[in-house]
Amino acid sequence: MKIAVCIKRVPDSETRVKIASDGKSLDDSGVKFVMNPYDEFAVEEALRRKEKASSGEVAVICLGPAAAQETIRTALAMGADRGILLQSDRIPADPFEVARIIAAELKSTSWDLLLFGRMAIDDYNHQVGALTAELLGLPCVTAISHLEIEGTKGVAEREIEGGIEVVEFPLPAVLTADKGLNEPRYPALKGIMAAKKKPLEVKPVQASAGTFEVVALSPPPDRKEGKIVGEGVGAVGELVRLLREEAKVL
Amino acid sequence: MAKNEQFVPARYQPTLPLDKLIVQDGAAGAGDRMELDVVIVGAGPAGLACAIELAKLAKTGGPELNIGVLEKAEALGEHSLSGAVVNPRALRELFPDLQDSDFPFRAPVTKEAVYLLTKGRKIRLPTPPTMHNRGYYVASLCEIVRWLGTKAEELGVNIFTGFPAAQLLVRDRAVAGVRTAAAGLDRDGRPSPGAMAPNDIVARVTALAEGTRGLLAQAWCQWQRVPSENPQIFALGVKELWETKRPLDRVIHTLGWPLPTDAFGGSFVYPLEPNLVALGLVVGLDYRDAGLDVHVLLQQFKRHPLLAALLEGGEVVEWGAKTIPEGGFYSLPQRRAGDGVVLLGDAAGFVDVPSLKGIHYAIQSGIYAARAIFQNLKNAESLSRYDDILNKSYVATDLHRTRNMRLAFRDGFYLGGLQAALMMLTGGRFPNGKYRMHADAEVARRSSSGVRPGSAEHPDGISKVDAVFKSGNSTRDTIPSHLIVGPDVPAEVARFYARMCPAGVYELGDVGAQHAAPLRINAPNCVDCKATDVLGPRWTPRERGSGPKYKRM
Repeated sequence: MKIAVCIKRVPDSETRVKIASDGKSLDDSGVKFVMNPYDEFAVEEALRRKEKASSGEVAVICLGPAAAQETIRTALAMGADRGILLQSDRIPADPFEVARIIAAELKSTSWDLLLFGRMAIDDYNHQVGALTAELLGLPCVTAISHLEIEGTKGVAEREIEGGIEVVEFPLPAVLTADKGLNEPRYPALKGIMAAKKKPLEVKPVQASAGTFEVVALSPPPDRKEGKIVGEGVGAVGELVRLLREEAKVL
Repeated sequence: MAKNEQFVPARYQPTLPLDKLIVQDGAAGAGDRMELDVVIVGAGPAGLACAIELAKLAKTGGPELNIGVLEKAEALGEHSLSGAVVNPRALRELFPDLQDSDFPFRAPVTKEAVYLLTKGRKIRLPTPPTMHNRGYYVASLCEIVRWLGTKAEELGVNIFTGFPAAQLLVRDRAVAGVRTAAAGLDRDGRPSPGAMAPNDIVARVTALAEGTRGLLAQAWCQWQRVPSENPQIFALGVKELWETKRPLDRVIHTLGWPLPTDAFGGSFVYPLEPNLVALGLVVGLDYRDAGLDVHVLLQQFKRHPLLAALLEGGEVVEWGAKTIPEGGFYSLPQRRAGDGVVLLGDAAGFVDVPSLKGIHYAIQSGIYAARAIFQNLKNAESLSRYDDILNKSYVATDLHRTRNMRLAFRDGFYLGGLQAALMMLTGGRFPNGKYRMHADAEVARRSSSGVRPGSAEHPDGISKVDAVFKSGNSTRDTIPSHLIVGPDVPAEVARFYARMCPAGVYELGDVGAQHAAPLRINAPNCVDCKATDVLGPRWTPRERGSGPKYKRM
């Protein structure tokens, strides 16, 4: 089974991000970067599929700056076989441009499965997986939380409002991974050693800006300060009154 | 316990579990096994300097070496914390082709001031000769460590972050490597899905660069009966990083308030940038008042006019805590090398308290160890060569010159200060001989009720809960407790632990209630400062990713 996983290097969710002086990008200094958590589910699922088929290849593709090699190495340490960095210092804000670059790379090989994270935690666009599928003319199931594959047929489950949707699809297909699909493994010591020797191809790409332009970034408004009503049984009446009249949640 | 009674912390402290820490190579219980030429425990300044120097030696003089560095933090630098003003001497030796401007320093020290504080007032003191910092640099140790890590990886060193070494693997009297801590265990220590068994890393040489109060370094010294003239003594430092509205143009040190006179310590205030200020309070763990709380004292300290003016309108962006080995020359293990093993940096105790420096000694010890290890692997020379080089080096000379200075303060602030001044004037020759010290846990504590100066009951400023959040600690709530608490801890001692621990790991239970344990333990809060390992409950390493995530500490 030949599987491609597309991953993104994003700021760690615990990082305190700062808006750069231009007002429309993030200040990179002191920011810790990690693999997008949804992409970890995708990498893990690819490794499990390959292990189950006991043959095949998992390739990891990433669009990003030179430093994203580190993100690819993490996937290689988890067990992926090779990596491709589509190197560009700027990642276009337009998801269609990103999809175009990734599709151009993917179409030269015939894959059985193409996996993405459901979304990237930095821009929340949810679009690149589906757009890439469209560009490649492949079926796409987004936000899957369970996956079964039998021969050239797949069955995926999606968690939807109030229930689970079951979708059948033919391979090859593009799938985007949601939380709950699996529990991603940590790289083992031997995996980290082996990752250093695995092939990582760096291909410079020309990324045009596309039709999107980021005009401004602003932090969310400060949360209003909390209020301590009192302590013990005596405070209950006032708390109920405030919840009803001020917070209007009762 | 009645009012004003004394207790000795050592009485309630569990012994080091040597039978668990020293394991025969090949013992059952490990998953993967990996063989390296050299394994270094701890990716701090000492461990990384050792790896870099060794990789350079191997590149120029062969043979090729497989070098691995194990680090308990999830990412480089996340467990590293220091003041810090750095003497660039050792970095220059490690990178002879680089300039100071290439190093990851923030700014050179141009102005400095030392104050004696009283409540509300400050008295400018002449800067003691040991504390002159011109020519040195303000820096964040996290940033130095990340930079060193990049350099090491460029040289082919394997850095394994998220792999805490938990046990020493031995063959007869020789150290053969280490076993890492398991990951993914539940509260009761049973493996949960995705759990990872311990790994055995065997190597021809193991370098213990675990940092302050190193677990395996302690275990090795005890196991091989390597004594020191004095027991090692420690201080606890609590540090905050502030974005300030007002700029600061100098490094500041203070003595006196809010510390009681029978505690040794002081504060530091360093500008990383004009409006990014590192500040902290350091207190020797031989303090007498069981109610003393370093974190609370730091909160008081910030209300002094000297600080209040600087911090007004500013914001705390990080918080952290760490112990410091303060014993100096007489607390160094008699040898820092054995069969298959060397001890580096803070784990060996290379800190000079009078100049408030240890980072360059850590780096220097790493460089010396690398040279000895290289000769050991290439020409089968004994690792004791490391001790020979160290004993003849400026590291030993520096520590010898100030050998009794910190120790004099066991007699209190004023008497200690007088003696230290005489030592300074006589170049360390006054007085003859050596000050005898007790281990911190052997020093009796006064346990009295009520609020006294220096032991405020009600923290003002940042609470310990908020402090732990600001340390970046996001340890999984369901890990097994990594702290070994002695049996039958009385309420007074439990209160002592609760005050001592800056991260709120220990909480007083409901003492009045029947059958209630006096101590509640919030183990995930722990930021690995090791203070209670010195005075009470023992610390052991947790799974990868646990503890703080320091960024610019």
